[in-house]
Amino acid sequence: MEMISDVYRGFRSLLKGMGVTIRHFFRKPVTVEYPRERAVVSKVQRNAIVLIEKDDIGSHNCIACLQCEKICPSNCISITGSRKDGLAFKRPDTFDLNFALCSECGLCLDVCPTDTLGYSKQYDKAGYSREDFFYDLLDQWKATEETALGTLREIERKKKEEREARRKADAEAKAKAKENDDGDEKA
Amino acid sequence: MARNFTEIFGSVWFAIPAAVTVIMGFLAINALMIVWMERKVAARMQRRMGPTERGVFGLLQTTYDMIKLMSKELITPRHVSRKLYLVAPVVLFTPIIAICSLFPLSENWVFHDYDIALVLVLAFSGMAVVGIFAAGWGSNNKYSLLGAVRSILQNIAYEVPLILSVLAVVIMARTMSLHEIVMEQSTIPYIVVQPLAAIIFFIAATAETNRAPFDIPEAESELVGGFHTEYSGMRFGLFFFAEYSSMIIVCALATVLFLGGWQGPILPGFVWFFIKVYFLIFLMMWFRWTFPRLRFDQLLRFAWLLLVPLALANLLVTAIIVKLI
Amino acid sequence: MPELIRVGRDEDRDTYHLNMGPQHPSTHGVLRLRLHLKGEVILSADPIVGYSHRAHEKMAENRNYIQFLPNTSRMDYLSGMIYNVGYCQAIEKIIGLEVPERAEYIRVICCELNRISSHLLWYGTLLMDLGGFTPFLYCFEDRERILDILDLVSGSRLTYCYGRFGGVTEDVDDKFLSETLAFCKHLRNRLPEYDDLVTNNVIFQNRCKGIGHIDKKTCHEFAVTGPCQRAAGEKRDVRRDEPYGIYDRFDFKVPTRTGGDCFDRFMVRVEEISESLSIVEQAISKLPVGPVMAPKVPRKIAPAKGEYYFAVESARGHFGMYIVSNGTEIPERMHFRTPSFSNLATMRRVLKGSTISDTVAILGSIDIVLPEIDR
Repeated sequence: MEMISDVYRGFRSLLKGMGVTIRHFFRKPVTVEYPRERAVVSKVQRNAIVLIEKDDIGSHNCIACLQCEKICPSNCISITGSRKDGLAFKRPDTFDLNFALCSECGLCLDVCPTDTLGYSKQYDKAGYSREDFFYDLLDQWKATEETALGTLREIERKKKEEREARRKADAEAKAKAKENDDGDEKA
Repeated sequence: MARNFTEIFGSVWFAIPAAVTVIMGFLAINALMIVWMERKVAARMQRRMGPTERGVFGLLQTTYDMIKLMSKELITPRHVSRKLYLVAPVVLFTPIIAICSLFPLSENWVFHDYDIALVLVLAFSGMAVVGIFAAGWGSNNKYSLLGAVRSILQNIAYEVPLILSVLAVVIMARTMSLHEIVMEQSTIPYIVVQPLAAIIFFIAATAETNRAPFDIPEAESELVGGFHTEYSGMRFGLFFFAEYSSMIIVCALATVLFLGGWQGPILPGFVWFFIKVYFLIFLMMWFRWTFPRLRFDQLLRFAWLLLVPLALANLLVTAIIVKLI
Repeated sequence: MPELIRVGRDEDRDTYHLNMGPQHPSTHGVLRLRLHLKGEVILSADPIVGYSHRAHEKMAENRNYIQFLPNTSRMDYLSGMIYNVGYCQAIEKIIGLEVPERAEYIRVICCELNRISSHLLWYGTLLMDLGGFTPFLYCFEDRERILDILDLVSGSRLTYCYGRFGGVTEDVDDKFLSETLAFCKHLRNRLPEYDDLVTNNVIFQNRCKGIGHIDKKTCHEFAVTGPCQRAAGEKRDVRRDEPYGIYDRFDFKVPTRTGGDCFDRFMVRVEEISESLSIVEQAISKLPVGPVMAPKVPRKIAPAKGEYYFAVESARGHFGMYIVSNGTEIPERMHFRTPSFSNLATMRRVLKGSTISDTVAILGSIDIVLPEIDR
């Protein structure tokens, strides 16, 4: 008797399972047909790093401080930079990324003092050799580099002027204050 | 329509190759369709798309796959037992052609209607296990050998309830000719009067064809590929072809024995036949994509302790009732 | 004709050795099991590990604490978030860094989602080992939603590097919260369906019940932790016993079973999925506003000289970090106590006497992740 109920229960459970699969059979597939449709990529999707444009410069604002190169656990960033005439900070001459090594930890973004590092949005990069993943991050900025340098110099000049003006104003204010102090003391 | 190839071709030596070609073509087209269907059904049950690229609904995908398999280099591993290794796919496949020639697709579409067609079908389908064992032993690979051993035990275990359930039908129809068994069912298909035999037959047939949940001889997660681990290219293709062809055969047999063969209203006979066969094949796919695999000892216990006694009891009751009526 | 299979030595001709793996579909990566078999019955089993050794512990000795962050999630890639956040919590505790409330809650949400995704993957692969392919894809479909949700905040889908010393990198937005709640609801509706398809299935039950017993004694001897231990009847969970982060603020059960066989381990994990769901929902309902990063994180992290140990509950059990500092920025030694390693060690005892079919079921049920074992 027990055996019969076992068999009955067993077959019922099998039929129930078949019910589940047949229900799904008539539902729409969940596949995203990749090359034809594209999945929505998250806003913070991590990817290869790029130098992002700063509005006031019209170019990136990398100052070749090498912070990212130092913190990178995989040593995939290599930068050389040099001082340009009329600029307070350095400017990168090369900025190479070996994306094949990158583990997308995002530590370089955290340490960047000028926040000029960001993630690329191209998520389907493929290549035939590892050289295909050696990115030159300055590539896209080469054309605008001269004008950007001009803008930076302009900014630097303005800053300098401002500083001068402030120093002047400060000095004047100090002198005035001193005069006043003196006057007060006298009074 | 001529009843006989020999009449058309004049000589038996032309008739045999012609018949084999026709059957191979029939099997190939159906097997390709079933593989496509299997992939599509599996995909849909799992909320995927399945093949979509080649042809309408990916219908040509399996044809492309076959061309790929055919154009692949045939690799014979050095460690195999060469003769057995090479002969195994052929041994597995040949009986299937023989069986196929026996099925009545409609009232007068049959290669040859023997009196004892049923015996021939069962005998030839029992031969498949020889091919599987040859493949497993000849591969000289431990996984393959385990697969082959499992296959034999499984086939022996399930042949018994299979034949016992068929016997019940034979007792009722009082004939072993497939054509006449179908004619006997003109009023009422045997699945109505013999539901238990039908269920046992179908379960045993699923096991006979090594389909999931009884696919333990090839159990890819346990034995990697079982008996066909060492095969590649079209030799593997033949195993694959044989699996799907034997699916067609057991479903056709179930149709003939229990579902009334080609009989049905309005539509022509062969259409009904194919509708029924493909419905059963769908049922097999449904099993495969729902259930996990049985363990080996459970499989045997299920066969010997449940199916065989049930089939025997069914046979006994049938015999008594037939005698009394 | 080449020589056919040699079966054992002359004195025991009916036994043979079988190398299962490292390339085998159901050894979950690169585990190699050296089996000594008689027919299909296992006389002895030797798990051989080390095929995916990447020297994470050695790497830790050559970089500073913050640079080790991306390594954490690559040890156990299925519960990377738990490892990553756990490592952050360890360092924060060592250097005494306060983490903002909001960040703590976000961490809990992400960790529990990660635990669910890990369990779902395990569920699928166990069923695939048992030959059922469809549940595998259902689980992946649900897991995919978790990955998408975690992608929204952490920017990665598998190997997260979301935690930072002092908080997390990104704040969560409304989209994240609503999608997480929607997912919780979805999965709760989905679990009964899984029960119909898998748990109540007679074939599945027969395959899993009564095999692979890991009893309390074995648990103690081999230091088995996590769901395997709880399935043996031992109510231990780091989240409950020595709460880290803010786990003491949540109301959740620690599911236990008594049998310790494959089916019990299965049930424990299934119940854990719903417990984790409830933790996620509680955390979202209590989520405070505020910053997600501590205002003052020291640039230079150099813990005082000494030895430290910190443990979290990963999806597979007790994950411990043993950190030896020599007072500099670079650790002297870092050792990780990974749960799968101890759990796998029991196989030598557990597999004895079972069959090849059971082996894949047992291996599947203890849920090993090979990169975590090899590190």
